[in-house]
Amino acid sequence: MKENLLKFLKIDRRWIFLALAMILFVPIIKPIGLPNKTISKDVQNAFNYLDKVPAGSFVLFSLDYDPSTRPELHPQAVAALRYAFKKNLRVGIVTYIAGSTGLIQQLIEKVPAEAGKVNGTDYVVYPYMANAVAAMTQMASDFYGIYDKDIDGRDARSLPVMKGVRNYKDIPLIVNITGTSILDFWVAYVGDKYNVPVVGGVTAISQPGYGPYLQTGQLKGLIGGMKGAAEFESLVKEPGKGTSGIDALNLAHLMVLLLILTSNIILLVVRYL
Amino acid sequence: MAKTKTLAVLIAFFLAAGAASAAPKAGKTAPVPAIAGFTAADMPYDAGNALLLRWPDGQYAADTVYRVFLSTAEAGGWVQADEFKAADRSAKAIPLPFWAWEPLPGELAVKLEIGALVGELKSGSDVKVKVAAFEKDKLIAESLAVTAQIRGNWFRLDRLNNLILLTVVVIAFFWAVSHAKRKGLFIRRIAGLDAIDEAIGRSTEMGKPIYYVPGIGQMSTISTIASTFILGEVAKKVASYDSQIKVPHYDPVVMTVAKEVVKQSYLEAGRPDSYREDLNFFVSHDQFSYAASVDGMISREKPAAIFFMGYFMAESLLLAEVGSTTGAIQIAGTDVEHQLPFFFTACDYTLIGEELYAAGAYLSKEPMLVSALKVQDLGKLVVMVSVAIGGLLVAVGAKLQWDNLVQVIMTLFKAY
Amino acid sequence: MKIIKNYLPLAMVMVMGLLMLGSYYVPHKLSVDYVEQMNKWENIVFAFAFLLGLLSLFVSHYGKIRRRQDGWGYSIFVFVGFLIMVVPSLISGGKQMVDGQVTGLGWSFRYVYNALSATMFAVLAFYIVSTAYRSFRIKSAQAFVLFVAAFILILGKVPLGQMAWESVLGWTGYGIDRVIEWIMSVPAVAGKRGIMIGIAIGAIVTSLKIIFGIERQYMGKD
Repeated sequence: MKENLLKFLKIDRRWIFLALAMILFVPIIKPIGLPNKTISKDVQNAFNYLDKVPAGSFVLFSLDYDPSTRPELHPQAVAALRYAFKKNLRVGIVTYIAGSTGLIQQLIEKVPAEAGKVNGTDYVVYPYMANAVAAMTQMASDFYGIYDKDIDGRDARSLPVMKGVRNYKDIPLIVNITGTSILDFWVAYVGDKYNVPVVGGVTAISQPGYGPYLQTGQLKGLIGGMKGAAEFESLVKEPGKGTSGIDALNLAHLMVLLLILTSNIILLVVRYL
Repeated sequence: MAKTKTLAVLIAFFLAAGAASAAPKAGKTAPVPAIAGFTAADMPYDAGNALLLRWPDGQYAADTVYRVFLSTAEAGGWVQADEFKAADRSAKAIPLPFWAWEPLPGELAVKLEIGALVGELKSGSDVKVKVAAFEKDKLIAESLAVTAQIRGNWFRLDRLNNLILLTVVVIAFFWAVSHAKRKGLFIRRIAGLDAIDEAIGRSTEMGKPIYYVPGIGQMSTISTIASTFILGEVAKKVASYDSQIKVPHYDPVVMTVAKEVVKQSYLEAGRPDSYREDLNFFVSHDQFSYAASVDGMISREKPAAIFFMGYFMAESLLLAEVGSTTGAIQIAGTDVEHQLPFFFTACDYTLIGEELYAAGAYLSKEPMLVSALKVQDLGKLVVMVSVAIGGLLVAVGAKLQWDNLVQVIMTLFKAY
Repeated sequence: MKIIKNYLPLAMVMVMGLLMLGSYYVPHKLSVDYVEQMNKWENIVFAFAFLLGLLSLFVSHYGKIRRRQDGWGYSIFVFVGFLIMVVPSLISGGKQMVDGQVTGLGWSFRYVYNALSATMFAVLAFYIVSTAYRSFRIKSAQAFVLFVAAFILILGKVPLGQMAWESVLGWTGYGIDRVIEWIMSVPAVAGKRGIMIGIAIGAIVTSLKIIFGIERQYMGKD
């Protein structure tokens, strides 16, 4: 019996891959709808900050994620953008990652049309800028010093969506959704220095690293990974890819739990029994 | 006849003028009282695009709203620059430490950023400012227009605490390096670095190559710099053991530097003939393409030893896990804390954070580098002592309500 | 010659390094402009180095194909992949959408690059699960702490786990989300802060070593 258990302990990892793949297929084919009770404090704070912004104000979205982090971050962006439009906020989108431009394109093909928002009047997309820190510093004195034309070549100052926006004093909230460390720059160079509230959306892996910033209040709220996206979607009451992905996530977590319990029980049995 | 007519016109003119000057001027209200003590000066310690306005508080009701207007030679006319309630702008609210700014009690101070309103102004330009007090949107007082000159300043006095700390570190650094002992200073054992010899020996026996993955950082990332130092030492050992090393690169600048480093290592080991240009090769500047390519190379060639040193993000587990399936001995080091767990679980040895920076000194045992390590330890000691004493003082001060002490300590360690 | 090869690079590194360091304390516009200029130069150097890297990549893979080395088939994909992305982007002028129509570049970006990148990231999930099976084994005291922390954190993320905790340990009054929050905000942040402080100080000393020319391996030998 011990030999069999030892064999199981040293099982070829490809069996584990197969088991995981089968487990992940199930909710994709038939959504189970596992209940999602808790909403974490940071997601609630992120939502509250977006909710507090008065209608008609200008909110800056910095979307810096590329296709590899799309499954976790795109639902966050979609939910946040949908809610911003629902609250009749004016939206400006900037990016500092070259790979994001295609994803932003996909975002604005879908979301504004659903809310009946018009490019130039309710939202505007700015072109990719290579040097994030330089752009952030420039925007503190004059937004148009770095973004004088939008992505379609129109003069930014003339757009109705940019009315009354000159620099950070006129932007009540910045939402940064990223899979890179750009959120650190937003917090250090903008949020802390110019007292602009910054709310972030990051991958689940990077989420613990922002603990210090959340504690000191330099980062006002954080949406972490797909679970954060699902929680945010439930707060804005717009279920999307985040919520549907949560089932798969929950089952995968369950499998990890069972695996680590099993391996430790087998280890105990082999060693002491 | 002409004379009479002219006289009549003249008399009529003078009468009209007299009447006009006697009649009250239509539409002009009584003059408003002036806000006393209003001064404007260049904001100190900045790049030259802000002004510092000060005036005494308490002259009007608590809910008075102040509006600041400014005017420049180019813009002409008065532009409203700021609007706020008296309570929001006390002199204490200016973000400068006590050694650079002394807020007078009962004073209002406003830092006025003018770059956004009137664009970039040349240093030395004159700007006129005035402030007006409003109660329920009714003007109740207005100051006289004051001219101030904006100037770019040359030193940030508010960062003096930082400069002093830096100076102390630099002095300690020079002292340690100049007193570099010939005999080895004690450095505690770092298992990951001790295992490098074992790893290279293993690869020589098995006749398989060694893979050195320098991560996805740029050359300006400190961990990449540390990684190139370690690469130099590893390459030297590989050259002397007559083994094989391969270094796939994510960043072409890092590749260029690594080429020089490896070449020098081969020369120092006395094996210039074994050196080949393609030991360092560029793979891709995309994170997952790089991971996929390196994974493929590792799976096919099954190296005996893999080093992961540098800046890693999500691809850390992809690389480390594939490496462990081939049975290679893996030594990893990174300063990205959230990737450390993945390296811990998949690699044989892991260097945490600053052990990576110490590696250059540890491996080469050069006296100057080892002494520089002492400075790192001194820095950590300073931080530990500051945290302990500062925390104690702040706790005691808060308990005994010594507000000044608490303020001073909090300000001393704040970054401006 | 010695001056140019040895002393000039060291002098440049020291001067540039000290100027950048000084620019933190000098708020004048000149200092701000200098920093911006250095960033621009860095981008330019990178662009040239990228060209160099690309050429070295092509040369090495072409050599592999020519000599029919092991795995030369994969080298062909390097060129194929390059052409698939570059040719459509040249044709469409770098635009992904033209008049509401997806261009060749847009198509390759969405259905080739997007898909492949997402796949690579998704492969992580499988690796994490198999690593978890191997590494959360209680072999020592530290491993036990790791196991307990990991167990509680994963339990709290799963609704079934939350319900299991409520039923077994609900009487203590500590909900699992409170325990998770404590673990993430106290011991985890403490460890992280310690590592961050060590890294920051190490970074300062490493920078000083480079600025003052004590570590000069990057220069190579004469």
